Parts: sequence; structure tokens; C-alpha cells
Amino acid sequence: MEYFGEQLVNGIIVGGVYALIALGYTLIYGVLQFLNLAHGELYMMGAFFGFFAMVAVGGPSAAVVPTWLMIIIMFLVAMGGGAGLGVAVERFAYRPLRKSRRLAALISALGVSLFLQSAALLLFGARVRLYDTGQFINLRSGFSIGSIRIDITEIMVVVGSLLLMAILWFLVNRTQLGRSMRAVAVDQDAAVMNGIDVDRVITITFALASGLAGAAGVMSGLLLFPVDQYMGIFAGLKGFTAAVVGGIGSIPGAMLGGFIIGIVEAMATGYLNPTYADFIAFLILVLVLLIRPTGILGKKNLAKV
Amino acid sequence: MSENQTGNQPETAGESGRGIGTDEWVAQHEQRLNQASGPFAALGQRWLQLPRGIQWLVPLTIALLIPFLTSNDYILRIGVNLGLFLMLVVGLNLTVGYAGLLDLGFVAFYGFGAYMYAFVASPQFGIHWPTWLAIPMVIAVTALFGLALGTPSRRLSGDYLAIATLFFGQMFLVLAVSSDAVQFPWMQEPVDVTGGANGITNVDPFSFFGFTFSSMTSYYFLLLGLIVIGVFATLRIHNSRHGLAWRAMGEDALAAQHMTIPPVRMKLLAFTVGAAVAGLAGSVFASVQLGVFPSTFKLPLLIMLYAALILGGLGSVPGLVIGAIIMVVLPEVLRFPDYSNWLFFIVLIVAVVTTLKSWKIITAVFVSTLAVGFAANGIFLALGVPYLTTPEWTEGPLAPILGAWVFMPEDRLLYGNIAFVLLVVAIAWMTTRTRRTRLIALPFVLWLAVFTWEVRLLLEPSVTRQLLIGALLIVLMAARPQGLFGKPRVEVL
Amino acid sequence: MTEPALSLRGVTKRFGGLTSLDNFSLDVEPAEIVSVIGPNGAGKTTLFNVITGVYTPDEGRVFLHGEDVTGLPPEKVARQGIARTFQNVRLFLNLTVRENIKAAMFGRTKASLLGSIVGSPLARREEVEKEEQVREALEFFGTRLQGYRLDQPAYSLSYANRRRLEIARAMATGASVLLLDEPAAGMNPAETKEIAQIIRRLRDDRGYTIVVIEHDMHVVEGISDRVIALDHGVQIAAGSFDEVATSPAVIEAYLGKGAAVTK
Repeated sequence: MEYFGEQLVNGIIVGGVYALIALGYTLIYGVLQFLNLAHGELYMMGAFFGFFAMVAVGGPSAAVVPTWLMIIIMFLVAMGGGAGLGVAVERFAYRPLRKSRRLAALISALGVSLFLQSAALLLFGARVRLYDTGQFINLRSGFSIGSIRIDITEIMVVVGSLLLMAILWFLVNRTQLGRSMRAVAVDQDAAVMNGIDVDRVITITFALASGLAGAAGVMSGLLLFPVDQYMGIFAGLKGFTAAVVGGIGSIPGAMLGGFIIGIVEAMATGYLNPTYADFIAFLILVLVLLIRPTGILGKKNLAKV
Repeated sequence: MSENQTGNQPETAGESGRGIGTDEWVAQHEQRLNQASGPFAALGQRWLQLPRGIQWLVPLTIALLIPFLTSNDYILRIGVNLGLFLMLVVGLNLTVGYAGLLDLGFVAFYGFGAYMYAFVASPQFGIHWPTWLAIPMVIAVTALFGLALGTPSRRLSGDYLAIATLFFGQMFLVLAVSSDAVQFPWMQEPVDVTGGANGITNVDPFSFFGFTFSSMTSYYFLLLGLIVIGVFATLRIHNSRHGLAWRAMGEDALAAQHMTIPPVRMKLLAFTVGAAVAGLAGSVFASVQLGVFPSTFKLPLLIMLYAALILGGLGSVPGLVIGAIIMVVLPEVLRFPDYSNWLFFIVLIVAVVTTLKSWKIITAVFVSTLAVGFAANGIFLALGVPYLTTPEWTEGPLAPILGAWVFMPEDRLLYGNIAFVLLVVAIAWMTTRTRRTRLIALPFVLWLAVFTWEVRLLLEPSVTRQLLIGALLIVLMAARPQGLFGKPRVEVL
Repeated sequence: MTEPALSLRGVTKRFGGLTSLDNFSLDVEPAEIVSVIGPNGAGKTTLFNVITGVYTPDEGRVFLHGEDVTGLPPEKVARQGIARTFQNVRLFLNLTVRENIKAAMFGRTKASLLGSIVGSPLARREEVEKEEQVREALEFFGTRLQGYRLDQPAYSLSYANRRRLEIARAMATGASVLLLDEPAAGMNPAETKEIAQIIRRLRDDRGYTIVVIEHDMHVVEGISDRVIALDHGVQIAAGSFDEVATSPAVIEAYLGKGAAVTK
């Protein structure tokens, strides 16, 4: 029972990270009907940005700022850098393809993914980085439920991702900007004719989505996952799975999907062969796609013939 | 009722051969726009006027002659790789290029075929089927596998199909890598099915009628033969009943359905045939390699296949051949710093010459680039940046020129990285500017590109290759989505 | 008493809370031209979609030449002998005129994939026949889609030519019943007159049974043997053009309550 609890907790925590990545996917797909396959790479870049930010303020051993400030700086840099990168990618790789067929944008996304991975390899080197936050005692403190230990970092990750989702939900459903985004999602041309600056809306969408990915990257690093150029591939796939399972285009769906995938993966790792854990995650995705393509909370699209 | 009222000129002018009617002239407008101008255009025109048969005969003859012109096994190996790659592209073209089905798990069929062959022709299970039995079996089973994959996906389209196939592909990979200790309920011990991450080794080579394929040359000719069949079949399919049905489906699936084309059946057929081709390629691959290794069947290979298809132009058969050649040969060239240097400069020069129409401008650009280079040299020296002298960092005939013009700092990583970032930003910036601004900025950007290349990119060929492929895909889609040889398309969204 | 070419019995189609077709019945005799009119949203295109199998009716049945085709997928219904055009033209834009028409002949031909590749006698024969069919379908439109145009991509055609090609493509399927969804939409008066002539000739010269959705009353008047008026999925009038055009229910549907009084 304890073991189950432990796996469950692990699953929820990792699920929080997946949920953030899923949120980014779902946001972009919701507004543009475009699968940004390069999204995982923005998560990877975020992790790197956060790492370098940490090193820049002196790193774990010689920090010139208090821990809480360092964390904030890391998040800001990662989210800002991620957002900037995402906006640039949209501007130069995807915008020219808005009127082209799906395949073109998908190929471009694959190209961006390859490019970002290689650029990271080139600029940062092949060395795997670790957020060496073990030095910070306060980051590792926490409490225990029975023999399951939960520390502050992990709580921060889950709370943080829930918070970001709430903010995003509020943004999309209760603000003018959100209304513009939803309008663009339904009919871009009509939105233009109603005075909505579609380019700006799309830019903001990408900025938000990529910022979230960046945040996810830092969280992943804080959870002591290794930071390397390839971390975006699998995390991206899983986040993507989560978005589709939860219902692509739906913000609560992305959240739900993220936690589901996280928990399923943790359970599969804990009770079955760890390598099959990936397989199971994919299997779930395929099953969901076949049984209910729009995902758990997704909406059905009725096209007019 | 007169035809003139609808704006159509009477067709008599064109039909009677007295000269092209207005309509026909207008219709050819696009053709004229797309015609290249410049020094290479005349050559291109002459080539296009040759009959199709001759056009294909030329590369075929070259391909036939290569094994006799060189006994270098490495070159033959590249030829074999190209042959395998081309087979895969031909298969993928059916699924994606014709039927428009976004199959992102295609490499799984390749892997499946390879493993199937290895199962029946290696010490893995101790079975050693004769080749004439193994190959048809592999083709049939892979086709079934394709059918199995296609069946649950038959109602999916577009994005969802892409996702589902992507994940099928990943599932296959994970399965292949993890199945080295599979516990079957009826067996005592776990069975090593796929050899796990190490794969299966000591696979039998092909042997027909007593002739064993033991040399690279024999496989080269085998693949050449298969390619000829594949390309020929593709050309025939293009206008055939099924080819048109697939292409119509790719255009407008609902309309096609109303025109008697059964979407499910055609989708499954595309999947199955594509899978069969990939499976065949897989068996050849396994026997050439004398082994099967799961790391081959990952996403990068898939991206390369799609890149080749897109680069060549979807729906164009010469396009997919050329796309494949570029995708396979280019990375090989990049392995050798000297050759890649030459290639880089040739590509750069060709690109500049073909985009800028007038010789005056071209010369001006090149001269300015040289000037920028020398100026930069001076600035670096004035700033006292430590540098390396020529022989250490490049050899070959280009060395003296490069040495005089390109500044090679000692800390290649730092300066190279900065230059790289600046280059990317500069190129992106250029796309937002007018033609004039771009022309002015061009010499600086060109110099920066050469600098980045020499100082940084040459250091790591494998990373550079990925970088270039990624950049190529992005630029290609933005600038010329129909690829090199595709026809410009009209999309209804 | 010949059996109807097309027959609908009590067809009802609902979308969520909206009833698009309500207990709709219709018999179309062979070589008859029936027009379906009604305000937008009346359910006319839904009617076509139900007939061709895009939607399965919640109630009722559809018969084609006496065969029950209810619920069959569109490709099977098409093979039974019915073809349609679309409200917003749906051609295979990047295919040439010739290819558009040949593609539609899929259901009439039998060559296997392998046969096509190696050039079996059957495949070759069918290709010759297909060329013949292309000629036959297009000569119906006079000099419009001829000569060099055959190898031009469909997207290069003018709007009117696109509509004509769509009809030619429908003919190429070998159908005997044609459903034309607003064939004259967006055409100028000359083109409209020509389309009306073509529809009549399709019936007179080639014996097609035709159901037309139209808004242009001149066309409806000029071609119809019978007119059916739909509103909110219900048939509100049926009969000759004059009967339907003067029916109070129809006037009210188009112009609102009270408009009928002055007529």
C-alpha cells in the first residue's frame, strides 16, 4: 500500500510537468489547429536557460541571492527565454505556412525540432547538466505521509502547474484577449474582419505556450531530472500524449491528461518493467485515439459539408 | 448564345494552329513565371526537351557504371545505402505523396521487415530459411502488419492519423528494444526475441540459386534492379486507376468518396503496399548489414525520408530520386572536412548566382564579401584576439585562400557560438527586410556564414549535418513548399 | 408504372436538438427533373447528404432504382448510380481536368493495381475506354473544356468552368441520377441560361434523372417538371412551378408572415 502511495505521488508530481507541456500543445492546437511537434524542444531549452540562470547568480554553492529569489529568477529566465524562442519560431518558421497544407507545417515543425536540438548541442555542448540543488537545504525539506516523503520542490511543481493552468484558464475564458484567441480558433478570416489582430493573438499564444514549456523545463530540472539535448523528445511525446488523451484543445483536458499519463507511467514503472512504461503510455494514447479521438474532455468538431 | 459573353475567346486561333489563342497564352502564364532565368536555364530547357526514356537512361547508365569505375567499397556502400533509402522513399511516396496519409510510423515497417528476415535467417532461433522462401514471407507478413496498423487508423485523418502512426512507430521501437527477455506463459525461461538494444547479429546474406550475395557490389546491383522496378512502378501508378484514386483522395476525400472511390479500402491499400515495399527493403538491409539493430529505426531516419520526399517535391518521381540522393550523399560528404568545405562554398556560390539575376550585382556582392572579410580580419587583429595560423585548421587547395581571408580565433568554441547565434538572428532579420536592404546586408551575412562554418561548424560534422537538415526543412517549407520539382499547389483549407 | 429512380420514405434527420429533415418523402420518376427550393437552412443540402450516404437518417429509408441504399457509405451509393455536385465546388483542384474526370471512373473500372503497373490487357483496354468517356462527358459542354484545357490543373479554370467540370465529373461516374447543389450559384445571366440549357439537355439527350437545389427562380422555372419547397426540414409545397411559387406557405417561408396576403 505504501508502495502504491509512493508511486501515486511520483506520478502526480511528474504529471504536473507533463500537464504544463500538454497545456502548451493544447493551446497552440486549440488556436491554430497545428501540432507544434517542436514544443518539446522549447521545454528542453527552458531547462537549459534555467540552469544557466542558476549558474549566473552563483549557482548552488556560491549564490549571491537568497534561494527563493534564485528560483524566481530561474523561472523568469526560462519562461522569458522560452517565450521569446517560441515567438521567433512562430514568426520565421510557421507564419509563412499559415495558408499551406498541414504537411508543410508539420515538416517545418520537425525541422525546427531538429534544428533546436542541434543548436543546443552545438552551443551548450554534449555534457549532461544537473541542477545541483542538493546544496539547498530548504529545497529539500518537506514532510512525510507515512513513509512517503514529499519535499517542497515537489509541492512547488504541482502547485505551480495547477496555478499556471488556472491563470491560463482565466486568461482564455474571462478576458478580452482570451476571447480574441477563441475567435481566431474558430475562424481566422472572420476574426480579422472583426478587427482582431490575428498576428498578435497568435504571437501571444505561442509566447504563452512556450513560456509554460520553459517553466516545465525548470521544474523538471528542479526535480533533478538530467538536462540534455534529447530530453525534449520523450517529454514532448508524453506531453503531447497527455494533451490528446485529455482532449486536445481543452485546457482542463490537458491538465487531466498530464496527471493521468504521469500516474499511469509511474504505476507501470513501479509494477512492471520500466521500459514497458513508455510502451504503455503510447498504447493508452492509441486506444484513446481509436475509441474517442477527441479525448476525454475534448469537443467534437462538426464540419459543414 | 455567344461564347464571348463569358469572356472566353473563341478557341479557333489556337486550334487551327494560327498561333496561340489568348486563353492558352494566359493559361501558360504560370509556366512562364516559374521558368528559371540565368545561365543554367538554357541547359535546363535542353534537358527537359529530351524524351522521358532518355532522361531516365542517363542516371541509370551512370549508376550502372559506378561499380566498374571504382572498387572503393565505401562508395559502393553509399550506393547500397542510397538504394535502400530510395526504396523506402518510393514506399513512403505511395502512402504520403499519393494517398496523402501522414504516416509518421513508416520506419516501423522497415524495422519489422528487417527483424522478420532476421528471425528466419539467423542463429537467433536457429532457423535458416532459403532466401527465395524468406523474402516473399517477409513481404507478405510486413504487408499484413501494414494492414493491421492501418485498420484501426482507417477512420482517422490528418493530424490524428499522424499522431496515431507516430505512436505506433514508437511502440514498435520500444517493443524491439525491450524484447530480449520475454516471458511467455508456456515457457520456462524468458526468450530473447529481438536481441534487445543490441539487436540480432550474424544474419544470413541472400543467396539465390547457389549464388551468395557476399560482396557490396552484388547488393549494389540487386538494389539498383529493385529501384528500377520501384521507380517504374511508381511512374505507372501515377496515372493509373488507383493512382488517380489516391491522388483524388489526397485532394478532397469527401468528394472522392462521392465519385465512387472507397476511402477505407484505398487507405488500407496504401498502407499495405507501402509497408510491403518497406518490408522488402528491411530484408535487404538485414542481409547487407548481416545484422539488425534497433537504433536504425528511429525518428531521425523518418525525418530524413520525409525531407527527401518534400525536398524533391511531392508527386514528382524525378524529385524523389534527387531528394533521396541529396539526403544520403550529402551527409557522407560532410564527413570529410575538405569535401564539405568545397561543397559548402559551391552551394553558397551557386545559391547566390542563381538568386541574383544580374552579373553586375553578383560580382559586387562577392567583392564586398571579400572586403568585409579583410575588414573583419583587421578588426580582430586590432582587438588582439588570439588566433591560429593556417595549416593547423585546414588543409587542401582552399587553405591559402581561407587563411588569408578567414580569421581563425584560438577559442573556436566561444567565437564560433557567438557567430552562430548572430548568423541565425541575422538571417531571420533579413527575411523581414526589403530586397534592397537584403542586398546590402548580404555580404556581411555571407562572411558571417563562412566564418561560422569554418570556425565552428566544421568541428562537429554530425551536429552540423542535423542542423543543416533542420534548417533546410524550415527554409524549404517557407520558401518553396513544393520542393525542387513539385508543381505549385493550391490548397483549400 | 415504372418504379421511381429515387425514392425517400419518411426520412428524418436530427442533429442534437435540431431536426433538419422531418418525415420527408419524395418519389422522383426516371428522366424527371425535380427542383428543391427553400430558404437557407431549410435542410436542402442535408437532404442531398442523406441521399448520398454522408448522413444516415434517424428514421425512414432511401431507395435508388428500387434498391434500399439507406445508410450505405457514399462510395457505395455512388456506385449504385447516383452522383452529385457540391454547393461550394469541390473539385480535385491540383489534378488536371482530364484527371478529375478519370478519377471518378474508379467504380466503373476493374483493373487491379498490379495490372495497371504491368499494363495488362484489361488495364490497357480500360484506359482507352476512359479516354473515350472523357471525350463524351466533355463534348456535352461544347468548346468550353477542350483542347489544351484538358491538361490544365483544375484550379486554373474559371468559376463557371469549374462548375461545368464538376457536372462532367459526376457524369463520368456512370450515374443515371444527378443531384446538383446550386449549379447556377455565382453565375452571371448568360452562364445561368447556359447551365439551365445544359440541365435540360442532360435529361433530354442523355436521359438523366436530376434533382436540383436552386435559389435562382428563373432556372427553377425553366427546367423543372416538379418543384418541392422545404422549410425547417418539412415539405411545405409540391407541384408545378406556378403552383409552388404562388403557394402561401412558400411565400411566407421566404418573405415572412403577412407577405402572402398581398399575393
